[in-house]
Amino acid sequence: MKLIERRVTPVDSPFAIACSMAVAVVAAMVVTSLLFVLYGANPLQAYGALFHEPFATWRGFGYTLVRTAPLALIALGTIVSWRSGFGYLGFEGCFVIGAAATSWLALSTAPGAAIGPLPFFAFLLMPLLLSFAAGALWAGVVALMRARFGGNEVLISLMTNYVAILIVQYLVSGPMRAPGGVPETAQLPRATWLPFILHGTRAHAGILLALLATLLVWVSLRKTPLGYELIVSGLNPSAARFGGIDVGGRLVLAAFLAGGLGALAGTVEVLGVQHRLMDGISGGVGFTGIIVALLAKLNPLAVIPAAVLYGGMTVGANAMQRRAGIPSSITFILQSLIVLMVLASDILRRYRVNLAALRPVVKTETR
Amino acid sequence: MNFHRLLTSAFFVTWLAASLRLSGPVLLAALGETFAECSGVLNVGIEGTILLGALASFLTAYVTGMVWMSLLAAMLTGVVFNLLLAWMYVTVRASQVVVGLVFNVLALGIAATVYRRALGESAGPQSVAMFPALHIPWLSGLPFLGPVLFGQTILFYLTLGLVLLAHVLLFRTRFGLALRAAGENPSAADAAGISVARMRYTGVLIGGATAGMAGAYLVLAQIGLFRESIVSGQGFIALGIVIFGRWSPWKAALAAIVFGACDALQLSLQLTGVNIPPQLLLSLPYIVTILAISGLFGGRAIQPAALMVPYAKD
Repeated sequence: MKLIERRVTPVDSPFAIACSMAVAVVAAMVVTSLLFVLYGANPLQAYGALFHEPFATWRGFGYTLVRTAPLALIALGTIVSWRSGFGYLGFEGCFVIGAAATSWLALSTAPGAAIGPLPFFAFLLMPLLLSFAAGALWAGVVALMRARFGGNEVLISLMTNYVAILIVQYLVSGPMRAPGGVPETAQLPRATWLPFILHGTRAHAGILLALLATLLVWVSLRKTPLGYELIVSGLNPSAARFGGIDVGGRLVLAAFLAGGLGALAGTVEVLGVQHRLMDGISGGVGFTGIIVALLAKLNPLAVIPAAVLYGGMTVGANAMQRRAGIPSSITFILQSLIVLMVLASDILRRYRVNLAALRPVVKTETR
Repeated sequence: MNFHRLLTSAFFVTWLAASLRLSGPVLLAALGETFAECSGVLNVGIEGTILLGALASFLTAYVTGMVWMSLLAAMLTGVVFNLLLAWMYVTVRASQVVVGLVFNVLALGIAATVYRRALGESAGPQSVAMFPALHIPWLSGLPFLGPVLFGQTILFYLTLGLVLLAHVLLFRTRFGLALRAAGENPSAADAAGISVARMRYTGVLIGGATAGMAGAYLVLAQIGLFRESIVSGQGFIALGIVIFGRWSPWKAALAAIVFGACDALQLSLQLTGVNIPPQLLLSLPYIVTILAISGLFGGRAIQPAALMVPYAKD
């Protein structure tokens, strides 16, 4: 009897899945702690520092919520598109497109500008709608290429990220540039900022939007005929087609929703945090958001905890960089390693361990 | 506007020479990726491998000053990291797009962290030794053709040689046939006694070696320094070139030169002082790649039938 034996089918009890995921997370943290050692830090203290600031201090928790909102919105967009069979990876682009549309609108409502000042609540809905529409169109074009011409949406959407980033670079260094040395727009009028919701922190109303979006995405995917059609199109397009579902149309719709959600993440970032548009505003959040969705196993209800965890890690890493000089890029390593290890941990469920093999074989004496 | 300045022969010479120079890295990456895709693996992680290759070659050149050693270090780095990727793709059978995408974030983290550790927080950009441009006697003295074709670095000619080698390997050897069989019909290949897993590992590892080389090309033959944004989507463009080149090495070479020409146009136009926003020109390579793979022209590309489909031997 061998100690480690291959199973015929992988074990898929919830307990086994939880165990293998736990092993994966620990493995990722062990590998990352080697990097902490490289920087001469005690790994245990480093992890303590990484999680203390974002989750155990009031101010830090506010920042965690600030980071959570865009991550959650992008993760939701990922879930809608991927579960509908549309492998969209263009959220970095949607994010900056949404941020640009929002900034343009907010700057137009400055006193003396094109539209002029608006009461806050009249204003609030407009950037949300405009940004959602811009992002929806941006992603919708890719869906159209896939549905009509059979283009590869994975690669096309990756390319569109660079185009969007260059468009924003052009806007902030040309038409929308404010006087001054740095290519960025003027500060948005204070009346357009999202209100801060926790006293003494930078946490803003964007997190409420993320929570609302989570609820809406969960309800529409789980409880409505539309969600059913989207998920069936994703699971088995030809079966869906036989069932009378317009798969191409559903694909484009899923892209609209995904792009819109990605653009809302940009809106939240501009109106809640940066209060102006600049080059490099996304900082990779479009990809981290996808990773959050993967950590949540594409389940909308798991998005908020996953986004809080990953948003918190970013906050903790920034604090660590300020205090201990450990570069914050280490979070990219930890965040991606966790997901890679979780994916790899599936292989653990394909084997079983026979403890019986450890026992010495008792030989019966024969005469 | 002074468009008449564009029509000088000097403009064309600098433009075409730069086109060939800039097409090198994407072509190298695309060559290896062709092997990976023919074996049935779409390696989105190529962007990250190029970045790590660039970092490895930069650090080696920074420490030793030896360009060939740096090239070798980049290739080795590419192979080692692609071994990890191949394990995830082939043995774990995880989703290829997901693994590749997450790997790119990992590579970015590693590159940023290691670079800062190696050079210190405050150090500005450091330049390293580069491959010199070869001046082939007599040929490089030819008018027009000389500076365009015969004034490149040795890496460029090496890349051209690899195009030929890749074509022969893929379409004229038993190994190439087995590799393509693993990507077209893995169960039939398996029945014929070919190890699908071994073929796919080999494909991804070849992809790692050339992606590492592509990173070294960027550092050692193009800019001579390292920054985190050095790759900026060229790995993804290489994926597009593989599709546009219909999984054929020499067609990929043509596609890569088209890409290089778009990229070089921006440099050459800036020199002439024509007043076009640089971002418009910078976005040209991406837009051209999008159009090339959108399916708008020439119908749907016929990809290896089992591309992105993990194979589990029963």
